Amino acid sequence: MNIIELRGVRKQYHAKTALSGIDMYVRQGECITLFGPNGAGKTTLLKIISGIMSPTEGKVLYNDKPYSESDIKKDAFYLGHRTSLYNALTVMENMDFIRRLFSLDRRWQVEDILRGHGLWERRNDPVNELSQGMKRRLALAKGFIMNPKIFILDEPFTGLDHRWRSAVLAKIKDIKKQGKSVLISTHLVEEGHRLADRVAFLHRGKFLFIKDREEVDTGEIYGLFDSMGEAAR
Amino acid sequence: MKFMGSAIAILRKDILLELRGKESLSLMLFLSLLLLVIFNFALDTGKENVSSLASGILWVVFTFSGILGMGRTSMAERDEDAYLSIVFSPASAESFYIGKVLSNLLFLVIMEIFTLLFFAVLYDFEKIISMLPQLLPGLLLGTLGFSLVGTLFSFLTTASRYGEVLLPFLYLPVVVPIILGGVSSMDIILNAKAGGAGKWIQIMAVFDILYFAVSLLLFRYIIEE
Repeated sequence: MNIIELRGVRKQYHAKTALSGIDMYVRQGECITLFGPNGAGKTTLLKIISGIMSPTEGKVLYNDKPYSESDIKKDAFYLGHRTSLYNALTVMENMDFIRRLFSLDRRWQVEDILRGHGLWERRNDPVNELSQGMKRRLALAKGFIMNPKIFILDEPFTGLDHRWRSAVLAKIKDIKKQGKSVLISTHLVEEGHRLADRVAFLHRGKFLFIKDREEVDTGEIYGLFDSMGEAAR
Repeated sequence: MKFMGSAIAILRKDILLELRGKESLSLMLFLSLLLLVIFNFALDTGKENVSSLASGILWVVFTFSGILGMGRTSMAERDEDAYLSIVFSPASAESFYIGKVLSNLLFLVIMEIFTLLFFAVLYDFEKIISMLPQLLPGLLLGTLGFSLVGTLFSFLTTASRYGEVLLPFLYLPVVVPIILGGVSSMDIILNAKAGGAGKWIQIMAVFDILYFAVSLLLFRYIIEE
């Protein structure tokens, strides 16, 4: 079943076309990895899918309803380039705020999630005293309290060291096992490819391809990055 | 119940942010103190004049300190796109708006209490404290109007690079009826002028209802893009 569908989506920023002719769908429980060089339109596409941004042209449907009539934002978790954290508040206060917004009474779950993201020891520290990697982990940890149907993750591995990259990878695999849909943009070819059910490559606002993972090997993706003069990792 | 629960969670978070960051209320208090001192030097505020000048001075201070404070509370949401935590939650745009209105209202009321006390001391005008019960309806309606409009416009303008510069230009023309009502009703009460403050209080109440209805409808579109 398709839960998200994009038909003929175009996004224009003044004179620049960020996306054009985008047709895609997301099935329930599948993971799509978006690859592409910087400026390809990955962030714009994820913002449009999450409902933060409207397309200039085209239709975006959630459960067959236009976004204006749907509740995508109530069912999705979006992790953008920014962390969506209150820097002056402590780790625990940020989590507590989310718990209150979601009317959750499960304090123990917050502890579990923070421990799982290596942040329990820093729970009383203000976010602005955390490293970039820790902030990123905390931003992701919020998604686990929210327990949404769709995870939309824009470069979730940024700022993470090798150990935490593997840990986050494992967590995303768990999300998939729970039947949730995941959309990821990343420059990490191996990790992104391993997670995906389908792989897409964006270039200059258009899909070069969107295929099942088995149809694309990592060498092809590395090759595309190389041909565009951008180093994949 | 859930609607108010989300609004209260946002209010609670804003109070915590203020306690931790001291970015909004402390700036408002400092600016109001500064403006009162400047007016004290710039105007002839002797015993015989202060009563007629009080309403003008106080509402100028409330307006500009309020703009500063409301701009800061919206900036706290825009920093790191923190407001997206609320957008991607069961909280509706309306409860988000109400939560922000409540926190702005709270900070404005604290700033106004401080300003009135400092005004009474600095200008040797204790009458303003003794007449507070009569002044209260006008002050509360004015502050509510400021908060209703300020929450909307500060959120709109902080999305722009020139947000804090833009805010007064958009906000002030819209709140003119509130400022007029506040100054006039306070002046009538303090100086026992004929005509009564009632009609100004009514005008402010009508504008508050109007601001509330329009802002509640528009806030959704402002946070969407």
